Amino acid sequence: MDTAFRKIDIDVYDEDVLQEEELFDADPREPAQVLSDAKQRQVAVRSALAKSDVLGALNIVLENAPYGPNVEEAKTVNLSTLLNILNTTKSADIPNVIKGLSQDGQDTLMKYLYKGMALPGGGDINWSILLGWHEKLTEVAGTGCIVRTMTDRRTV
Amino acid sequence: MAPQVFNLAQTPITCHAFSPDHSQVAVSLNSNDAQIYTRQGSSWTLTETLSEHDKLITSIDWALNSNRIVTASQDRNAYVWQQTPDPDTGKLIWKPTLVLLRINRAATHVRWSPKEDKFAVASGARAIAICSFDPENNWWVSKLLKKPIRSTVLSVDWHPNNVLLAAGSADMKARVFSAYIKEVDDKPAASVWGSKLPFNTICGEYASPAGGWVHAVAFSPSGDALAFASHDSSISIVYPGGPAIYNIRISSLPFVTLTWTAEDTVVAAGHDCQPVVFTGSEGGWQGVGSLDDSSTAKAAGPRSGLSGGVGRLNSVAFSTFREADSRGHTGGGVSTDTKLTTVHQNTITSVRPYEYSGGRVTKVSTSGVDGNLVIWDADSVSAVAGRIGGMRV
Repeated sequence: MDTAFRKIDIDVYDEDVLQEEELFDADPREPAQVLSDAKQRQVAVRSALAKSDVLGALNIVLENAPYGPNVEEAKTVNLSTLLNILNTTKSADIPNVIKGLSQDGQDTLMKYLYKGMALPGGGDINWSILLGWHEKLTEVAGTGCIVRTMTDRRTV
Repeated sequence: MAPQVFNLAQTPITCHAFSPDHSQVAVSLNSNDAQIYTRQGSSWTLTETLSEHDKLITSIDWALNSNRIVTASQDRNAYVWQQTPDPDTGKLIWKPTLVLLRINRAATHVRWSPKEDKFAVASGARAIAICSFDPENNWWVSKLLKKPIRSTVLSVDWHPNNVLLAAGSADMKARVFSAYIKEVDDKPAASVWGSKLPFNTICGEYASPAGGWVHAVAFSPSGDALAFASHDSSISIVYPGGPAIYNIRISSLPFVTLTWTAEDTVVAAGHDCQPVVFTGSEGGWQGVGSLDDSSTAKAAGPRSGLSGGVGRLNSVAFSTFREADSRGHTGGGVSTDTKLTTVHQNTITSVRPYEYSGGRVTKVSTSGVDGNLVIWDADSVSAVAGRIGGMRV
């Protein structure tokens, strides 16, 4: 049986189709500004880590995290800043750091954990560290936090 | 008081609606027919089947004063059922009247207005059909609320003034519309939602915090507040006069249905298999606990210990896998018990008020994918460890 009809994009025949961008409010900042923000944060995080203030560093990187289209470079910068924090935190400190985060911060951290696990390993990305954070974060924020990561269209 | 549990079927119960005197219940068992069960002592017997739809029935509502049933289905139709004497036998039978909805996608949810002279049908056609009776032609006509809905409407709820309608949609928004029909309604009094209310006025539009479909909406008993539950595992309470929105992110699976039991209390239920109670006022909201009392739970494994006490993950089967994972226990003493420790054994599809007393809802009813119908005492809340705090937005 011919099944090619299943692949037809019927949405192109709908003049009032729902666009991806309508599903979330766009970031009010310009892409160039988002990128420079991300780079500034990288510096701020380094100085926080130098004082071994992990929670402070996480708060900096998770607040106003870049999302949406056209900011791929800023997203990459922010992810590598975040991975730097995750990779250098002692596993015994993780639960207290997570408890210190706001709910927004926890939800955003979960988004980054899933983003990290979706990328090929190597370099900054160490899956076992991400899994360790995932376990501790789920204990604190519950499965609801994972559900929010899946539903939120503001992907980091 | 322990909840009363009735197992109606081995199939999911999509929706349920009780008759005015609670002696009968209309349910859809995930099929094209609506079934009416009659209570006989402590059990329910199938007494009537309403067959007219040719696709799955998605929603049923029973008008308490005029004793009419309305059904909505994926076949894009709605029927109003009325009891009339059979011309041959004189026996009362349910007679259907087709409603011209004028929608080209499935009907998803239906609710009678408080005065029972209108009903609203939500649909996948990005529209809500407001239906009223036209005595001249002796049929139900519909008027469509369309703007600015961008996706399937999943639920509707009427304001007590019979004019305003709340709708939750898959475009991540909860909205309040005016569903004023000139031929039917008197001019509504001004309320917190606005004063001039021609048809299709948008009185409010609220986004779910993390972009989840809005599964359920409900006005408070006074109509001055709106609650909605969305698929990002959150529940939001809106005070338009404030204006304030309280958003509570829950640590377990999303709610799909909710109802107010008093001006300060909401019961929500869904994929977590247990009804959860939230209380608050214009000053703030918080979760207080579950109607599913853990102490009456079957002797099946520990309930606490897991974060947030997620009902669905509290089964013996889950614990078995967890033991195997964390301690390497395999074989030997492996339990075959797959029962959850909650009363409902699967997602709760609908929670509705059951009994009123002194202006409060004292009992609520729930139906679930497990085929169970449960009647709960709305006041016997068992506290969950660690209150879920509300966050002001």
